[in-house]
Amino acid sequence: MKRKITAWILATAMTAAMLSGCGGEKAADTSAGAGEAATSAEESEDAVQGQDKEAGTSGEKDVVTALLPPVSATYQDKIMEYVDAFNQENADIQIEVTTASWEDMTQKLDIQVNAGSPPDIAFVGSDGISKYLDLSMIINLNDYLQDELSDFDENVLNYFRNGDGTYGLPAYCEVQCIGGNKEKMEAAGIDWENIQKNGWTYDEFREAIKKGVSTEGDDTCYGFVFACAGVTAKDYFSIFVKNADMPASFDKDLKYAYTSKKMLTFLEDLRALIDDGSMPKELSSVDAGKRWNMMLTGQTMITGKGLSSFERSAYNNNKMLEEGSADAVENSIPVEYIVLPVPVFNGEQHALGAVDGYVCLTGEKNPDQAHLQNVAKAAYYLASGERAAYTCQELYLSPVCESGREEYAKLDPIVDKNEANTACVELLTTQIAEARPDIPAELSAKAIKIEDEVIGPKFQGLLSGEVSPEEMYQAIVDAGHEAFGEEGCVAD
Amino acid sequence: MNKAKKKKMKKEVVWAYLFILVPLSTFIIFTIYPVITSVITSFQKYRPLGSEWVGFSNYVSTFKSSLFYKALKNTAVYTVITVPIGILMSFIVSIMIVPFRKGIQSFFKGAFYLPAIASGVALSFVWKWIYDPLPSGLLNSLLRFFGVSNQNWLGSSKTAMASLIIMAVFGGLGQNIIIYIAALLGIDPTYYEAAEIDGSTFLQKVRYVVWPLVKPTTVFLAITSVINGFQSFQTAYLMTGGGPDNATTMAGLLIFNRAFKYFEYGEACAQALLLAMIIAVFAILQFKVSANDVEY
Repeated sequence: MKRKITAWILATAMTAAMLSGCGGEKAADTSAGAGEAATSAEESEDAVQGQDKEAGTSGEKDVVTALLPPVSATYQDKIMEYVDAFNQENADIQIEVTTASWEDMTQKLDIQVNAGSPPDIAFVGSDGISKYLDLSMIINLNDYLQDELSDFDENVLNYFRNGDGTYGLPAYCEVQCIGGNKEKMEAAGIDWENIQKNGWTYDEFREAIKKGVSTEGDDTCYGFVFACAGVTAKDYFSIFVKNADMPASFDKDLKYAYTSKKMLTFLEDLRALIDDGSMPKELSSVDAGKRWNMMLTGQTMITGKGLSSFERSAYNNNKMLEEGSADAVENSIPVEYIVLPVPVFNGEQHALGAVDGYVCLTGEKNPDQAHLQNVAKAAYYLASGERAAYTCQELYLSPVCESGREEYAKLDPIVDKNEANTACVELLTTQIAEARPDIPAELSAKAIKIEDEVIGPKFQGLLSGEVSPEEMYQAIVDAGHEAFGEEGCVAD
Repeated sequence: MNKAKKKKMKKEVVWAYLFILVPLSTFIIFTIYPVITSVITSFQKYRPLGSEWVGFSNYVSTFKSSLFYKALKNTAVYTVITVPIGILMSFIVSIMIVPFRKGIQSFFKGAFYLPAIASGVALSFVWKWIYDPLPSGLLNSLLRFFGVSNQNWLGSSKTAMASLIIMAVFGGLGQNIIIYIAALLGIDPTYYEAAEIDGSTFLQKVRYVVWPLVKPTTVFLAITSVINGFQSFQTAYLMTGGGPDNATTMAGLLIFNRAFKYFEYGEACAQALLLAMIIAVFAILQFKVSANDVEY
């Protein structure tokens, strides 16, 4: 009898333990095969329910949840201090932050969105708003913020616009360009100061990087190395294509622009840089970490993509080398990082601005207007003033809102900052390709799919010499015609 | 049967069902329910705030997609090469390990099993270091000694799939070796003695004693490895992202991208169900062809 009772208890405990993880209803809505999605959704819903309960019992605070990545080195720590200050100042709103790594951020957010229970605020790239818009889960901030929107620079804010709606608030606009080793460029006779001010053409760039190639024994220094392994190949394409007279994937008449003959010339030009020997023939396997290592170890004169904050990375490594620290990159040399514009292939100089910021989301819980108002208020708080100033300074960027600029002026200046780089980044910021809120979300989504499924893979093939420029161009034309019809594509 | 015995039997049946209930519930909740949900979702345009019924359009677009066929072909190539090589290598290694005494056996088992417990992400870093495309890369440096020119291992469609296959074979050896060693140790030593009396060589013993006696294990490993091969996702996701030019895009990666990159859960479910059917067909064929004379 005793044994039976023990067996009963064990069986009950096992069943209870098994079922205890199945309390959420959301799992039912997630698709099969997405076990992780279901679990995360349940966790997320439990968390939200817990927060609601807390709000309900206190009867005072409306809880606003935010999912934030490590935007800059100390962002996640610093933002907690700002959020505490906000929570103290606002008796009726409580911001609750969940932090995640960059790697986890998109996946975590997408799972929560697809489970119908996203956080109220999330930090995303402006290029991602179309997919949330397509799901009808992103809030149009025009309904909740009026004067606050005028705080932001119009062109940068436009990156978060679609049609008449404003679907996010920018935290910064990061110019994505290229960067060089000052000493090596000067040794190759490159007038980098002039290039920073006046830009350079493709032919000038091609000649310059040829001069940067040198070989000593088994060691080769290339003229230019861009990270192209996996998805980073798309960065190379996206950053450079803006300067081939195709600043957006659609022209002003909303015709798909990449079917233009200019694309073929552009692809031939990119391939020529590898054929010249100025870039490694193994380029398609060089990932972001590898190419930065190559920059610091003197294996390349110019690298991409280049961000303003790379100046600080190089500076820190130089410091460690000076101090003889073991933390310095192995076999590295002192590198003074110089920001450089992307060469112009055709048309005007454009820069690619990666605009990231805060979006407000809604799910199955159908929050009331008062809650959405609070969410928008919290999002504006995070994107503006001291928060914007501090984040931008850490990233070596200029704030994109007036309140941020005011606070930025009050911060202690960055020690040993290269002023020529600062001026170059400011100039490039004025050349950022115009945002295109006129492109409907549906067209945008189709263009992104072509980029992911055709341009990305074919471009990798082009870089490894297995796909010719003509083949890649034809694949883009075919995909464009299939997605938008011949009349929906540029034909020249 | 008397009344008391019947009562006892009935009680035992109740107890049996009670204990079956636990794994059965787990199976229903975590396997049957998601499968049914995915069948339903495959006929829908999934939206978190209300899905839309679209009939067979997810299946139609899947069958129209050239990438789907390419992914299936890549998956088949990967599986067809990985499974036999993996099984053969683990069989050979197991035979080499078995004669050692227990302590040394355990050391080798542990060493070969290590990749199975290591994080896939950590392993991918090690393999990326090995496959470093530049002349300074580990594998390229090694091959230079033999006069082989520099290879762009993961960046060229000629070598990318082979690179993933090598990684999968070495990473998956441990599990097979553990199972093979257990099977080898289960063979009655009198068979070897009888073979020795008959004057069998080592290879003859392997061919006529060991191989037939571990056939049930081999069939089990072949079927589970084929299923794992067809479901392969992590290696391509971490090492190549499916590139270059989709040369390493496997069906699992395609389904993942469809669901989590484009939010097209309906099409992803349709593709997943089609893949499940293909796996089922292969598993049945394997049973028919190789497991006729196997008893479990």
